[in-house]
Amino acid sequence: MNASVWAKRIKCLVLVSIFAVIGNWISTTKSGAPVDIMAGLPGMAMILGITIIGCAITDVLDKVLPKNLPAIAYISLVAIVVTIPGFPGAEFAYASMNKIGLLPLCTPILAYAGISLGKDFGTFKSQGLPIVCVALLTFVGTYVGSAVIAEVVLRATGAI
Amino acid sequence: MLGKNADWKIHALSFVLTMIAEFIGTQKFDLGFMAFSLFPMLYVLILGMALGVAKVIPEDMQNDASPYITISVMMLTAKVGATIGPNLSSIMQCGPALILQEFGNLGTAVLALPFAVFVFKMGRAAVGCSHSISRETSIAIVGSKYGLSSDEGVGVMGGYIVGTVLGTLFYGILCSLLCSTGLFSPQALAMACGTGSASMMSASLGAVVEAYPTMAEELQALAASSQLLSSVDGLYMTLFIALPMTEWMYKMFTKNNKNYKDGQPIKKNA
Repeated sequence: MNASVWAKRIKCLVLVSIFAVIGNWISTTKSGAPVDIMAGLPGMAMILGITIIGCAITDVLDKVLPKNLPAIAYISLVAIVVTIPGFPGAEFAYASMNKIGLLPLCTPILAYAGISLGKDFGTFKSQGLPIVCVALLTFVGTYVGSAVIAEVVLRATGAI
Repeated sequence: MLGKNADWKIHALSFVLTMIAEFIGTQKFDLGFMAFSLFPMLYVLILGMALGVAKVIPEDMQNDASPYITISVMMLTAKVGATIGPNLSSIMQCGPALILQEFGNLGTAVLALPFAVFVFKMGRAAVGCSHSISRETSIAIVGSKYGLSSDEGVGVMGGYIVGTVLGTLFYGILCSLLCSTGLFSPQALAMACGTGSASMMSASLGAVVEAYPTMAEELQALAASSQLLSSVDGLYMTLFIALPMTEWMYKMFTKNNKNYKDGQPIKKNA
């Protein structure tokens, strides 16, 4: 395991956790159901812990497996397992992590993206219209795709 | 590389941007013919980019910030995973139509990528933009696989912005149109509403319920189940099926394509 990679990683993850838990407090206060920093801390610590465990699993498996899955696969798997009803403390884990909103967690992460994006402004500008059109087409694609399959299966099984 | 303390500057700036964005908070706009919300995560993107374009953030600092996206974005998948666990058992209670229609979510790339390559001659931003409807989970996956300041990252973030601003309006219109064609049963239309985005589901379901008001309760239940399924399978579907499939399609489409060389579009008058 590379110590300097881990130091950089943990520093960043801990800082983002702090930013997110403060941001979460502001955001939930604005929406009328405040989750103050102390109330948000356990859930945030769990998200941080699960991320680090997932990274550690990835690192260990990197050494034994010839081809490994990306870290996010293990991180999400750990998060799923600890919140499945029946897992020790699952209810507390879910309730705690549920206090941290997805959007307030996104904000500090996308702040790094924002900081790094100035140099990509040219790409955005030149690809602007194509991206708008392609994005709208994906909306049509996912909806019509699902509707077609649902219609076919519903008819085939005689449900309608 | 910057000096020894340069990374603290990046973290401090991230904190300041986050605080500004959260204090502005979510803003709802209702222009009569369209309604949408803007979220703090959109402000930090735009603020950061504006500071970068204005050279307030030097380019080497921009470069140094990139790895922090790849690191921090992993936490999103922990959060998303924690919402899957408690809902896992409800999948077992869903019928075959509900489960199979989830694969319809792959229609994103099937429909959008050919346009991206053959009409718009887009580069690899097309992969980021067309593999999914570019919601938060997709940002996490693309961010950790390619980095968000890659072409793929620009694609997924562009898609995110389009969806945030135009998604609900677009789905409202699309679903009204599809309802009026009579091609699909209301049940199928309701199941299709669960795409993984809560605001888009509300908008599309609203249009379907308006067309079939007497079935409102059944349709709402179907849409909610489908939405739940999408939130459970979305992450793995995107990571293991949609993204590799889009990669493969992009390779096929650009191979032997006179407008592309080595998977990149040939720039005109370059």
